Amino acid sequence: MFSKASSLLLGALALVGFAQAEEPLHVRVDQLIEKQAAGQPLAPVAGDAEFLRRVYLDFAGDLPTAAEARAFLDDKAADKREQLLTKLQTAPRFAERLADALNVMLMERRGEDPAWKKYLQDSCKAGKPWDVMAKEMIAPDYANPDLKGAGYFTVRRLEKVGQQTTDYPGLTRDAGRMFLGVDLQCCQCHNHLTVKSYKQVDFNGLFVAFQNIKLEGGEGKAAKVREMPLTAKYDFVSVLTKVAGQTGPRVPFSEEVAIPDPNSDDFWEVKPDPKKREIGVAKFSPLKEIAQRIATKENPWFVKNAANRMWWLLMGRGILEPLDQHNNPANPPSHPELLDLLAQEMAAHDLSLQWLLKELSLTKTYQRTSVLPEGEAPPEKLFVVAKERPLSSEQLVRAFLRATGEYDAAAAADAPKGHGLADFDKAFRTAFANAPKEPELTVNPTLKSALFLRNSDIVLSTVKPQHANLVERLVAITDPKALAEELYLSILTRLPNAEETAEVGAWLEKHASDRPRAVGHYAWALLSSEEFFSNH
Amino acid sequence: MSNPLCTPQDHLVSRRRFLGLGAGAMAAGAFGGLLSAKAGEELKKKEKQVLFVWLDGGMSQLESWDPKPNTKFGGPFRTIPTNVTGVHLSELMPRLAKQMDKLCVVRSVSTQDNAHSSGIERIQRGDPKTRGVPYPYFGSAVAKLLGPCESKLPPYVWIKPGSGGFRPEDGGFLGPKYGSLAFGDGLPPDDLLRNPALTEEEDAERNELRAKLNERFVARRPTNYTEANSHVFDTARELMKRADIFDQSKVSAKDQERYGKHDLGKHMLCARRMLESGVRFVKVTSYGWDTHGDNFNAHASLMPKFDQSFSSILEDLSATGQLDHTLVIAMSEFGRTPQVNGHAGRDHWPEAWSIAMAGCGIQKGAVVGATNETGTYVKDAGYDIGALFHTWFSALGIDSIKTEYDNKGQPLPIAHEDMKAIKEALA
Repeated sequence: MFSKASSLLLGALALVGFAQAEEPLHVRVDQLIEKQAAGQPLAPVAGDAEFLRRVYLDFAGDLPTAAEARAFLDDKAADKREQLLTKLQTAPRFAERLADALNVMLMERRGEDPAWKKYLQDSCKAGKPWDVMAKEMIAPDYANPDLKGAGYFTVRRLEKVGQQTTDYPGLTRDAGRMFLGVDLQCCQCHNHLTVKSYKQVDFNGLFVAFQNIKLEGGEGKAAKVREMPLTAKYDFVSVLTKVAGQTGPRVPFSEEVAIPDPNSDDFWEVKPDPKKREIGVAKFSPLKEIAQRIATKENPWFVKNAANRMWWLLMGRGILEPLDQHNNPANPPSHPELLDLLAQEMAAHDLSLQWLLKELSLTKTYQRTSVLPEGEAPPEKLFVVAKERPLSSEQLVRAFLRATGEYDAAAAADAPKGHGLADFDKAFRTAFANAPKEPELTVNPTLKSALFLRNSDIVLSTVKPQHANLVERLVAITDPKALAEELYLSILTRLPNAEETAEVGAWLEKHASDRPRAVGHYAWALLSSEEFFSNH
Repeated sequence: MSNPLCTPQDHLVSRRRFLGLGAGAMAAGAFGGLLSAKAGEELKKKEKQVLFVWLDGGMSQLESWDPKPNTKFGGPFRTIPTNVTGVHLSELMPRLAKQMDKLCVVRSVSTQDNAHSSGIERIQRGDPKTRGVPYPYFGSAVAKLLGPCESKLPPYVWIKPGSGGFRPEDGGFLGPKYGSLAFGDGLPPDDLLRNPALTEEEDAERNELRAKLNERFVARRPTNYTEANSHVFDTARELMKRADIFDQSKVSAKDQERYGKHDLGKHMLCARRMLESGVRFVKVTSYGWDTHGDNFNAHASLMPKFDQSFSSILEDLSATGQLDHTLVIAMSEFGRTPQVNGHAGRDHWPEAWSIAMAGCGIQKGAVVGATNETGTYVKDAGYDIGALFHTWFSALGIDSIKTEYDNKGQPLPIAHEDMKAIKEALA
């Protein structure tokens, strides 16, 4: 009886699964979101202009030019959105934009490193699966020139900064946060007090592997880490209960990896030599062992974390929040079925970040307007309205230079001193990026950013008429309506409405005595507005 | 709005008196360059503020608040009586001796750490029980618990020699926005001053335009983003209006003379102007107090600067009535060893040292606790920094037992939960 019922149930599930498999992922995503909306009105899909701006920022980290914007808005093709997405998602900029986003996510503004940046860009361009990348970051191969840049994830966290000592617990914590979506910090000293499923052994199993590496490198600058032989388990005691524990390398929520017998001849790759003070090299690499067990399709938290973070990147909120609190039964995802589906599909597609982002960009959920419906705002976690997202300093500097028509001049080899792309990058990063080690997840405007926008030379230089930039182009347009259109399209990627057009006209009339300045000021006001500063 | 240049702020007369016209009123005032009497009246009603003077490296309690003349470790300096009967201070503080009736000195401070690097953090974070997260500095704590003053100026400002900038790390788990805004050498932050390419009118007008564009955009958007953004723009505007705080030429020659033309004097004067302008928490740092060698000559040179500038600001805050709502603290990360080392220096000594306080909520003309005859240890239990945090919060009207931080759902006490305020130090 029991077995008959369960086989029937399995059959029904298989049927459902089969029927669903007919539909592409993006359709199933929308179905699940709509199902859970439970009567809450779904915001309509965004208009062309809102869509255009959003996808450029998300997939090119940039804005369209006014001409590109106009062409898209005028395009009558029914499938123009799909066409545009394909164009952006096959362009080299997509890989660079994803590399930028991964850099911000993984390094949390600890610094910039050319080899790391190149590693991320090359990996994204090659469409490297996420498990491969994660393995390369957790257990870097410093001998391989193409891969050693991945070691920055570890090396940078172990460097001594000022009086801060080498931070093995911090590295351990971040490995958990970034690759498994679990913040085990509290478990260094005791079982987690509020998340019952996080145990002290979960932190220390990872810690064993990370505390066993040493920074090496000449010239005072650490270049790589070396793994020491691990011959015994690690002992820990709970500061709360005084209960002692012991663990070898172990990935959270899984089986411990056995440490081979250090007395066996097979243990050593290079035997220790006390005379030469060589500690030897073991065949057993705890770092590689945990890297393989973290970064695999078989590890549900690894896959769910990646899926949730990619969802966050496009939707501005995770299906699970906070992003680093997976596997907490008391804090389930808002849409458990959806997160499982994304994870399962991602696993079935080689753990490709790009594939998932492309599918998500086709959903109505992603394409909804960010304009709130009348009445009370619906809860964010329902995803029935698109969420406004802050721009990273990388998106911001590109958008700013594109809008002001200054990008080419800044990128040119003969860019004026202090006004090259690298100068803009640095100035914008200084003004807008978060403080080091602060997850860049929410909006965090600072006094520094406001003063920078208002008073810095570098910002003001972009709204002076020069080398055929936006302001110079606008000054040459005599018809106020045409000018207003070009202005709004360039900066806000949309046409102005009648009221806005009239305001531009009135402003120009009032300041007719100095038209270039008047245009520059208007451009500045739009560039420093909320509308420009968010991905909405 | 009929006039695009007329902001709602301009209609707040009392604020305008402080912000827009403050500098002029100050220069012409009858209080030795202070605010006018009427403005002073308004100030009395104003919110609580903090002046936190940090003597980095460790001031010697024996050459300042807790002298032990003619004892084994007492050193060469004598004591002088103060305007509080029975209370003596080191002869290196003649001016402060005349302000003793405003002060409360705790002579039985006994803390845990004798290293600078960890000591400074520990002390300024209030050394709570370890929670695995960095606690905010006192300035960040006040910025969080009391917020900016009505002036909207940044709530936590740090005036120090050397470089300035934004110091997010002070905020600890409260987050970077509660960090300090440091004015290196009393100089303003980058881009504070209106760009010379813009006239004041242009600048105001384009900002009005920006505000108008925002208003329309945010009508149908969630408010969190907008509010954070307009907050920093407002703060920037208020700070730009008060750029005169940094203009040394606006300071009267008499005040410069009174406070002293050394760094500490200049920075203390800058601090007074910031407090008057409505900065919630001002920290002033003086470096160079780590006198492992030649302690006595070093203090003979350092103490008069402290005495001069600290007594001047006490006088001024008191004359305007501002002291009634301003908590004043002067301290280091620890005191110095009674035992004199082989270089005629004193080393680090957290076991027994002194902290001075005044103002809002603080007992006047009081000495709390005592050290033994030779000053080596405190009599009785002594007070750790946690007790002082409780005392300061209480002085500011914050219930230090009931008030808790919310660290992403984790309730955390604002001060060490095993300690409590020093009753004798509170008014």
